[in-house]
Amino acid sequence: MPKILLVEDNEMNRDMLSRRLQRKGYEVMIAVDGQLGVEMARSEVPDLILMDMSLPVIDGWEATRALKAAKETSSIPIIALTAHAMSTDRDKAIAAGCDDYDTKPIELSRLLGKMEVLMGGAGGSSAAGGSR
Amino acid sequence: MSAPARMLHPVQHTLPRDLLHDLRTPLGHILGYSEMLIEQMQESGREEFLPHLEKIRKAGNDLLDLMNNNLTSAEGG
Repeated sequence: MPKILLVEDNEMNRDMLSRRLQRKGYEVMIAVDGQLGVEMARSEVPDLILMDMSLPVIDGWEATRALKAAKETSSIPIIALTAHAMSTDRDKAIAAGCDDYDTKPIELSRLLGKMEVLMGGAGGSSAAGGSR
Repeated sequence: MSAPARMLHPVQHTLPRDLLHDLRTPLGHILGYSEMLIEQMQESGREEFLPHLEKIRKAGNDLLDLMNNNLTSAEGG
């Protein structure tokens, strides 16, 4: 079961997205700020990180730069998630080291497609028809 | 301007960047939870509320289209 780290400070976003990903067969771990996101990425080594960018303590850009600079976490794919929807926001996320970018509101099928590309096709159980 | 005229000549309204962000966040909750409930009801065969949930989802998507097509950020970002 692919392990996803969701770094998100908004409680409803965390609840909604984690439930939907779990139903698609992913194991979801949650961090509520950027600093915790960096610490959990180091300790849990997830298969992929979904990173909100507007976060307390340290923001998503700084957290991404820290993760990509550290040998033990540099290869973990990171998808930036933000409700800022302009091309400059995408460019800023990619410049920080994010591997891809998606906008809120989340379109789940689009996000799942990006996740599976970055994980080399190692998607959740939904591909085999499973859901909870 | 009449509604058909507005469709032919859409007006771009400019809003502060943070306000646009703050509009998209709760809209994401409306769309996400309605889609999740639709999936769960379809899987469980409990379809009595599906038409209502579809209306919530459609209204959310209509609002998102309106925002994407008519609102721009004051800061250009």
